[in-house]
Amino acid sequence: MRNSVEEEIYRQSKCKIQDYESIVGRSYIEELRMLGERLSEKVIQTINSTYVGGGVAEILAHLVPLCNQLGVDVRWNVIQGSDDFFEVTKKFHNALHGKDEKISPEEFSLFLEINQRNLNELGFCGDIFFVHDPQPVALITKRNEIGGKWVWRCHIDVSNPNQEVWNFLRGFVLDYDAIAFSSPSFAQQLPVNQFLISPAIDPLSDKNKELPSETIDSVLVKYGLSQDKPMVVQISRFDYLKDPVGVIDAFERVKKNIDCQLVLAGGTASDDPESERVLSEVRERAAGNPDIHILLIPPGSDIEINALQRAATVIMQKSLKEGFGLTVSEALWKRKPVIASAVGGIPLQIKHRFTGLLCYGIDGAVYGLRQLLTNHEYANWLGENGRQHVKQNFLITRQLRDYLLTFLSLDCPGDVVYL
Amino acid sequence: MTQWIRWLIDNWLQIAIPTLAFLACYVVGLWLRRVAYRAFDRWVVKARWEGSQLVVQTTRRPFLHWFILLGAYIAIHVSVLPAEGKTIAGRAMASLFILSLMWVAVSLSEKLVKLYLPKLKAPQTPTTLVANIARVTVIVVGVLILLDIWGAPTTPIILVLAAGLFIAGLALRDVIPNFFLGTQVALGEQIKVGDFIRLGSGEAGHVTSITWRNTQIKTLEGNSVLIPNSTLARTTLTNYGHPIKEATTPLRFSTRLHLKELTGLKAHNLHELVDTLKQVPDSVVYYHTHHFLEEHHYLTPEPANDFALWVSDALGNDVLGERLASIDTFDFATIGALKKRLVDVIENYLEKSPAGGEAPEGGEFHFIRSKSIILPTPYVARDLREFAEVMKKITIDSIYFHIFDARLRLQKGTNDFSIWIDDCLGEQELADEIARLDPYVYTLESLRAKIVQLVEEHI
Repeated sequence: MRNSVEEEIYRQSKCKIQDYESIVGRSYIEELRMLGERLSEKVIQTINSTYVGGGVAEILAHLVPLCNQLGVDVRWNVIQGSDDFFEVTKKFHNALHGKDEKISPEEFSLFLEINQRNLNELGFCGDIFFVHDPQPVALITKRNEIGGKWVWRCHIDVSNPNQEVWNFLRGFVLDYDAIAFSSPSFAQQLPVNQFLISPAIDPLSDKNKELPSETIDSVLVKYGLSQDKPMVVQISRFDYLKDPVGVIDAFERVKKNIDCQLVLAGGTASDDPESERVLSEVRERAAGNPDIHILLIPPGSDIEINALQRAATVIMQKSLKEGFGLTVSEALWKRKPVIASAVGGIPLQIKHRFTGLLCYGIDGAVYGLRQLLTNHEYANWLGENGRQHVKQNFLITRQLRDYLLTFLSLDCPGDVVYL
Repeated sequence: MTQWIRWLIDNWLQIAIPTLAFLACYVVGLWLRRVAYRAFDRWVVKARWEGSQLVVQTTRRPFLHWFILLGAYIAIHVSVLPAEGKTIAGRAMASLFILSLMWVAVSLSEKLVKLYLPKLKAPQTPTTLVANIARVTVIVVGVLILLDIWGAPTTPIILVLAAGLFIAGLALRDVIPNFFLGTQVALGEQIKVGDFIRLGSGEAGHVTSITWRNTQIKTLEGNSVLIPNSTLARTTLTNYGHPIKEATTPLRFSTRLHLKELTGLKAHNLHELVDTLKQVPDSVVYYHTHHFLEEHHYLTPEPANDFALWVSDALGNDVLGERLASIDTFDFATIGALKKRLVDVIENYLEKSPAGGEAPEGGEFHFIRSKSIILPTPYVARDLREFAEVMKKITIDSIYFHIFDARLRLQKGTNDFSIWIDDCLGEQELADEIARLDPYVYTLESLRAKIVQLVEEHI
């Protein structure tokens, strides 16, 4: 039985599985249906901490209806927790990212207590339990009573985690049948099957769908951008880790020989007091250069982001650290040549010199920018390859297929499985 | 008695003229029938029309009846009967003539339909329907003429009939085009049962039946699809004709999907790379030497294996990178042999240059294992034409399975397609041509196109 929030999400989910046929081909969708048929007898219960807000909820809001359309009975539940509980899990999140967080024994107890309360209150009805991120990870403690197969989907970069928190979570993680990570670098040496399931973009969403040229032009006019100069664009929130100042440095070195403009577009996060400071530093650094445009884009402006990416000549993602960096896939999907740092999940999306250019610092970024702004044929070739690469590997249909295969593989050990 | 004789003597002319007129018509009828049927026989001999006997059988007797009726009509007309009697008798003669004509038309049409029905390659339903419509039309027209002869008002009946036809036309507006097009499709012999057809909309399959409304095809996935004949007429239709040589065993296409399983193992330098490489299972080597084919299937020439790329890009060692890249996967029948070759090349290099370099932070080599999930698709090929059609439809994962996976799975240095074409179709030349293709120098899409081209040229 769905609750009202879930019903609303289902209602808002406009995409039908057949809508993707024109993009990935009919046979691909047929294969998804075949996988769905093989799971039609199973009930899959997916559990996370929220229906709305955040990347996980956004992914599930797309994937759950698509799974249901394929005949797979996926039910979505969220755990309930107090503000204190979510403060603790936020600390866990930061600690897993490598931040030095101090977690008190009371906070660990609170985490366990809330998980225990949810164990009593949440109705467990699945054959497979698909648990997302650390918040509900301790639900596994009663797997012997509940039964079924358990999969933990970790959306967080745990390549260099705080050991205290990781060791605490590890005790629960080891009881799962499988774990899914977003990047190979997140994998740990564990006696549990670990699968690589990269995040993906939805080609039919406002952020990625095709746009008429009038819409793109109107966004350029709105932000006072020239349509005659080549445009270098970086889309990301204002964060030191996205290195916006480094992008300006690289741009100014290129600008000496090539007439072009730079657009740094993004938002500030309300839960990140640092972002306002970064924004003001970036504005100060760009002051006096009319070809550098710092655009503060309000949340939900997906069409505008889409238009800026489509209007770009070259797209950059010069992050110092990155989770997966799906903005790279968004740019590649739009056939744009991309220069991005070789961090996080970016090397999965960019095979250097084949689907884009990787860089390790400002020098590499300058070299790449010069190449792409002057050699249009090469830039177009990279852009076209990038589009094909995303089509094959980073669309939501591939992600959906990976999840279905993961569920199917739970009962089938071995390197080769015949279904 | 005497009065009768006297009356006959007085009026013999008034009797003789009608009698003579009647007899003259009868004689003329007999003579005309002989002349006309002889002429008809001569024409039939020339024309060799097989329906001639039916025409003769059906019309020979009525032909004489018509002259008898004509004679009677003229006799009555020239007789001394009162005008009112003449009119009634004349209408009766005309009515009998119309009834006879109707009988001949209906009878002849039925016999001709029976004669030609088995010879027409048209669907039976529309043919009999046409015969029924013709019969009803003859009867309706005949009744209208009869009513007109007897002075009954026919306009309201015609109006009712016209309205009925209009309503029927509206109700059957979708059926009528299908009916005519079905007949046209069949009579035109554009398609026949057993033909393999492809519609502009993409549907393709063997024609299993043609009715007056629909044409049914069996698709390559084994589904039955009903196509309205009106759709057939509106779309581009390619008819490939009858099935060609059928395989002794049909080829059922499978597909291979894979999950990337993380081992948690990683290498920071060449020593760690080669040490770990020796320990990992073949499925890890398989992944790092083959995943490019699917993930970067659009690139040609395809990038080298992961080991070569990592050594060049992360360690900056272009010399060893080149040596690893030059290892031709096509040369190895087993992953074990390929793995040994990779290890040998790295170890030979390390013997001369033990340092080998260190990857930057975040640039480590992560060992990933491929977990293959193989499942059958609904696509089946029973001959080469179906094979070519299926090849155009299946996913690149399916092509990958039958070409790349098969080489290593079967360890025969060939692929599933060549084996099926040789073993089940006996087309060794084509099988060899496909087997000789080096799949590693094509993108999966260009490989698909090349195989389809070879097969279509062969057909």
